[in-house]
Amino acid sequence: MDKICKSFGANNVLQSVNFSLGTGEICALLGENGAGKSTLMNILGGVLPADSGSISLDGKPVSFTSPVDSLDAGIGFIHQELNLINDLTIYENMFLTHLPKKGLFLDARTMRSKTQELFNKMSIELDPSTMVRDLDASYKQIVEICRALMQDASVIIMDEPTTSLTEPEIQRVFTMMRSLKEQGVGIIFISHKLGEVMEICDRYTVLRDGNMVASGKVSETDPKQLATHMVGHEVVTDTAQRKTDYGEEMLRLEHLSDGVNFHDISLSVRRGEVLGVTGLLGDGRSELFQTVFGAMNTKYTGQIFLEGKPVHMKNTYQALAAGIAYLPRNRKENAILKDMSILDNGSLVHLPKIRRGVLIDFAKQERLFAQQEESLRIKMGDKYDLITSLSGGNQQKVVLAKWLMSDPKVLILDNPTQGVDVGAKEEIYAIIRRLSEEGVAIVVLSSEAQEIIRVCDRSIVLFHGREVGEVTGEEMNEHTIMYLATGGNQNESERA
Amino acid sequence: MKVSVRDMETKKTEQQRPGIVSWFRDNWGNNALFSTIFALVVMILIQCVIMYANAGSIPGMFEKMGMAWLNILRNNAYQGVIALGMCFIIISGGIDLSVGSMLCALGAILMYLVAPGTGLLAKIGLSGPFAYVVAIIIVIAAGYLFGQINGTLIAYGKLPPFIATLGMMKIFRSVTQQLTKHFNPTIPNDFKLIASLKIGNQVILPIIYWVVIVVIMHIIFTRTAFGRQTIAIGSNERAAKLSGINVNKVKRNIYALGGVMCAVAAVIYIARIGSMDFANAGNGYEMDAIAAVIVGGTAMSGGRGSLVGAFFGMLIIGVMNNILNTVGVPTFLCDAVKGLIIIFAVLVQKKETA
Repeated sequence: MDKICKSFGANNVLQSVNFSLGTGEICALLGENGAGKSTLMNILGGVLPADSGSISLDGKPVSFTSPVDSLDAGIGFIHQELNLINDLTIYENMFLTHLPKKGLFLDARTMRSKTQELFNKMSIELDPSTMVRDLDASYKQIVEICRALMQDASVIIMDEPTTSLTEPEIQRVFTMMRSLKEQGVGIIFISHKLGEVMEICDRYTVLRDGNMVASGKVSETDPKQLATHMVGHEVVTDTAQRKTDYGEEMLRLEHLSDGVNFHDISLSVRRGEVLGVTGLLGDGRSELFQTVFGAMNTKYTGQIFLEGKPVHMKNTYQALAAGIAYLPRNRKENAILKDMSILDNGSLVHLPKIRRGVLIDFAKQERLFAQQEESLRIKMGDKYDLITSLSGGNQQKVVLAKWLMSDPKVLILDNPTQGVDVGAKEEIYAIIRRLSEEGVAIVVLSSEAQEIIRVCDRSIVLFHGREVGEVTGEEMNEHTIMYLATGGNQNESERA
Repeated sequence: MKVSVRDMETKKTEQQRPGIVSWFRDNWGNNALFSTIFALVVMILIQCVIMYANAGSIPGMFEKMGMAWLNILRNNAYQGVIALGMCFIIISGGIDLSVGSMLCALGAILMYLVAPGTGLLAKIGLSGPFAYVVAIIIVIAAGYLFGQINGTLIAYGKLPPFIATLGMMKIFRSVTQQLTKHFNPTIPNDFKLIASLKIGNQVILPIIYWVVIVVIMHIIFTRTAFGRQTIAIGSNERAAKLSGINVNKVKRNIYALGGVMCAVAAVIYIARIGSMDFANAGNGYEMDAIAAVIVGGTAMSGGRGSLVGAFFGMLIIGVMNNILNTVGVPTFLCDAVKGLIIIFAVLVQKKETA
């Protein structure tokens, strides 16, 4: 790809970017949110047209006007959100674009055998007849990669493939990537996790503000240098200062159980404290705090106390009125209103209170949002643009702004840095620390131990919906957290 | 993948070229209302040509156009009001099939209240303008209640809107027919003045009601938290719920608003037509309302739309009917043309989002 330029309105997203990929090479494409990675890859994948510049494949110039063109040319694009159909089997998904037929009917046998053949070649142990809904996230990813291979892809673009995967699942995908590499497939790997880049990639290209700022061999660099390239300045990653002088207790849970996702959970958060709740996939932490926020429609036993008073949250607006805010995980499904503007997205929670008579007070709405925009440093074009015009990190900040506008007493952040780049991550951490100093009780739910260590004062570790430990101070390190989160001490007690 | 150097300068210059073509393309792509208004303008131009051919002179054309437009606006007023409620409902991601039957049921209630001599209000000694005001308030309250029933089934019963309102459509119609079996009401002549009082020698009151309601509904949609919450629910219901919006309550109110629009439409209908055939009145109005909403650029999937668009959508359908009648297209074929227009409108919409 050569001298690719792209602008949206006055916003120059890409300025003469060059990018190349060799056969059997894994190249990392790095950059903060909004650096232009996705735009560049969307141009390559035929989703967006380039304003200028050219693309060539195997030395021949090509131009794509649609994703199908790009696919036919052998470029497989695996999006961040998986594009598999849950209600079909693996083999049906593999052939979704060109279903083979025998007469009038689908040729299931060919599909199955071809899929099996490919799985054997890649040494994947999966039954092609499994329903996709029964697969875990990593196998879905693998099926999606196989689908691209089935269409003879010679280049595969993977956009943040590991965000929703657990460690063993990530390793599974990496194994797959290595065997692809051996077979001469070029992979473009987009990720924010520098550790993964160091592990799997051969080369890297860093974009910042639409320019290529660095490129080279992964073996000749280190994560710190990469992070510096991405952000443009030194990244501070030391742990937060831990305070001890918290205010009064804001939220207390006593023996909370819903019988399915979490069992007998007791915890409390004080004013000005940042409590971490961590664990691996299936630990029930989201369900637990969605219950606290009144967003689950299930019955629970046990008690929730807010500022010492027992409460029962039946729905989200009760929780909101009581001063609880919940920033959900999976921004796209749970938090973003794609048809609404940045301004409306950022003020939706508080909107019923911003009014003069029955009408919305637009001047006040803009003023309140401008305050948040400034304090959260949201980078955006016009506030009346659609929220989808923003990068992930900025979308997340807008979602955060929506909650902060309502001045919550207890702020629950579920995976607050999901799909957010290093720089924006640091900014979000800083915001969390600042809010805690302002006296908000904060709960951070995250599966990244590093994040918990970085931002929390104290952390509770869950394992299959049960509290298996609490860590503070020196104890709060990746080793201890992983040990607890994988049920380490449970196994020991069983053995004893 | 290897790299070669070649700039595609031509593409860039093409995009920078100013002028009417790019202005048009810009608006067509970015403004859903633009294509609706454009379609309306084209329709009116066609209508002008036909009227000119019929009248043979420019002044004659204007006179005929004036008459035609008065008819279009008057005759579509009550359906147009229903379409506004429908528009709200569709933007929230729902649908209301019961509007036609609801109009009929509300019409029956209104007639039962105001019928001279035998009507309920006459029996308790109320008559004249005061009685009519009371009757209208009761009918609007009834519309609100009917809408609440729809909304409650959908929000709390978790029924798909299509199913819930299909059921209510059958219920409203059949109960109304049963209850009005031996009921042959008339409407007091002065009640009819509500719609047919002549202003400047023309019957324009229904038009005024319609336009006023369009303005009110547009303000509710664009300038209240309720309007924003409606879009939020249509756009992403889960995110709306997780933003602390009382989704169930808002949904109930959206359907209640639809019911109120039906009540207003019923008042205009009765006052204008002076009678109601309980077996057929309002039949197919749900489809006409949905058609107007869609032609007006509102997405069936919810989250995007415009109340003003629904108004223009109704006008487009009205002008088209007028053109078909003037040209002398057989009545049975008129619906086929309507169908084509709806399909065409959605085809255009799809291109916009792609």
